[in-house]
Amino acid sequence: MTRALVLGGGLAGVLAAAVLARHAGEVLLVEGDHYPPGPLPRRGLPQSRHSHVLVSGGARALDELLPGTVAELLARGAQRRGLPGDALVLAAQGWFRRLDTGACLLSCGRGLLDQVVRQRALPGVTVLTGTRALGLAGDRRRVTGAVVETAGGGTRTITAALVVDATGRRSKAPGWLRAIGAPAVEEVTVSSGLAYSTRHYRAPDGLAEGMPAVMLHPRPAPGRPGQGATLFPVEDGRWIVTLTGTRGGEPPVDEGGFTAFARALRDPLVADLMAAATPLGGVRPYRDTANRRRFFERAALPGGFLAIGDAVCALNPVHSHGMSVAALGALRLAAELARHGADPDAFPAVQSAVAAQAETSWRLALAQDRPRDDGAREASAFQREILARRSRALLSSPELAAGFFRAQALLPPPAQDGAAVARALTGEPEPLLTTEEAVAQHPALHAWCATHARAGGEPIRR
Amino acid sequence: MSLQISDAVIWQETAGGISLYHTESGDFHSLNETASRIWTLVADKGEREAIVSELSQQFSGGSVAVSVRIVKDVQAFLGTMIEQGLIEERPALS
Repeated sequence: MTRALVLGGGLAGVLAAAVLARHAGEVLLVEGDHYPPGPLPRRGLPQSRHSHVLVSGGARALDELLPGTVAELLARGAQRRGLPGDALVLAAQGWFRRLDTGACLLSCGRGLLDQVVRQRALPGVTVLTGTRALGLAGDRRRVTGAVVETAGGGTRTITAALVVDATGRRSKAPGWLRAIGAPAVEEVTVSSGLAYSTRHYRAPDGLAEGMPAVMLHPRPAPGRPGQGATLFPVEDGRWIVTLTGTRGGEPPVDEGGFTAFARALRDPLVADLMAAATPLGGVRPYRDTANRRRFFERAALPGGFLAIGDAVCALNPVHSHGMSVAALGALRLAAELARHGADPDAFPAVQSAVAAQAETSWRLALAQDRPRDDGAREASAFQREILARRSRALLSSPELAAGFFRAQALLPPPAQDGAAVARALTGEPEPLLTTEEAVAQHPALHAWCATHARAGGEPIRR
Repeated sequence: MSLQISDAVIWQETAGGISLYHTESGDFHSLNETASRIWTLVADKGEREAIVSELSQQFSGGSVAVSVRIVKDVQAFLGTMIEQGLIEERPALS
C-alpha cells in the first residue's frame, strides 16, 4: 500500500492531500499548528487576517478539484466581484469604467475558505496537527519519509513512498534535501520592498450588500514610494481594508496613523468609507512580501519528493495570486498523477509540471516588482506614446480591459481583436471619470452616498 | 495580390524611419530606411507587383543582377511582414 505524506496543512497541502488520496493507499498530513474549530483565523498562519482573494482561474481550479466549493463559499457569504464590472479601480491614469471582462475575484476571510476546503478535502486523509516537520528521511536517490516533532515533543520518522513539501513560503526543504545528499536547489528572491497593514470593519448600514471592491493604485512618481489601498467586502457584512506602501512609505500600524495614511492617498474614497464603517479590532502589519521562487525542478531530486504551493513559488500577496496558484498547482498534480499514477520515480517530472503552473503568476509579479534595469534601452518617443495611450485607453476599452483583467485573473486571453485595440489606441479617448462619476456607476454605493449626504452627516464625497 | 497594412498595426513615420506597434502581439518594430520605403509603398500602392517594380526601377540602375537582388530582398521583407501579421495579403479585387 503506497503511503503519501504531506508536510504542511495550509491550502496547498490540504489540496495536495485531497489529490493524493485518490491515488495512494494512505495519506497523512502533518501540520505544526492546530486548526481552529470554526471559520476563524489560524494562529500559525500570520497572514490569515489579511485580504485573501481567489481570482477566476484559481476559483475554477478549486471547484474542479473539489466540486461545489465555490457555491458553498458564496452561500456562506463570500463575495464575488467582476473585474472591473463590480469594482472601483483607480489606476495610475484614472478610474476604470464598469466593463464586463469575464474576470472575477472571490473574496472572503481566510478562515472561512480554509474551513470549507478542509471539510471537503480531508475526508480520507489522516491529519496530525501539532506535528512539525523537521527533515526528510532517505538518500539522494529516494526519499523514504520525514522526521517530525510530535505534539508531545518527541521526534519520530514517518515512512512514506511519496513526500510532498507544502510548508509554504518559509519552507526548509532545500536544506532538508541537502542533508540527505541531494543537490542544492536554486532560489531567486525579488522584493519590491512593499509592506501593508490591514484592518477589518463592519460595513455601515445600507452597504453590507452591493458594495463594489475598491482598489486605489499608486500613481508612479520617480523617487517617491508608491502608496495605495484596497477594500474587499467579505462575509458577514465586513470589509477588509489594506493599505500598501513601498520602501520609505510603509503604512503605519497604529490606528491614528492608519487613518491618516488612508486620508493622504491620492483619492479619499477609502478613507471616507473607513470613517463611515465600524473598526473591528486593531491594525495588523505584514512585511514578508518578497517574491521567492525555488527551482526544485532544476535539481536532480530524489524520487518520491515533490514541493508544491508557496514552497515552490511564493508571490507578493499584493498580487492576489497565492491561493489561486496553490489551487492550479494541485489541479496540475491531479492531472500528473492521473497520467503517471502514484509512482515515486515520476515525481521529478511531476515537479516540473507543477512548477510550470506558477510561471504566469511569477512573470506577472516580477514585471511589477523587479527593479527597473538601468541598462535597458530607453523607450523611443513612439513607444512612450503608445504605452501612454494604452494606459489611458485601458480604462474604457472593453478589448484592452478584457486582455488585462483576464490575465490578472489567470484566465485564457480573450479572442484577439487587434483592429478594435488599434482604434481604441488611435481614437479620442473617453473622458476621465471624476470620483463622483466613478462612484455613480455603482448604484448601491451611489445611493448610500446620496442618502448619507442628505441625512446631514459628514459628506461622504468631497 | 493586394497588400494591406493590418488593421491591428499602429505606425508612425519619424525622422529615423517607421515605427510600428502590433496590437495583438504587443511588439514594437523599427524599420530602417529601405524597409520604411517598402512600407510606405505598401501603404500607398498596395500591390505587390507595383511595389517591386517601382523599387527595382528606382534602385537597380538598369542592372539586371541588381534588379533580381532587389526583387528577392523585397519579397523576403514582405514575406516576413506577412508572417508576423503586420501586412496582410489578399486577392486583388477585380
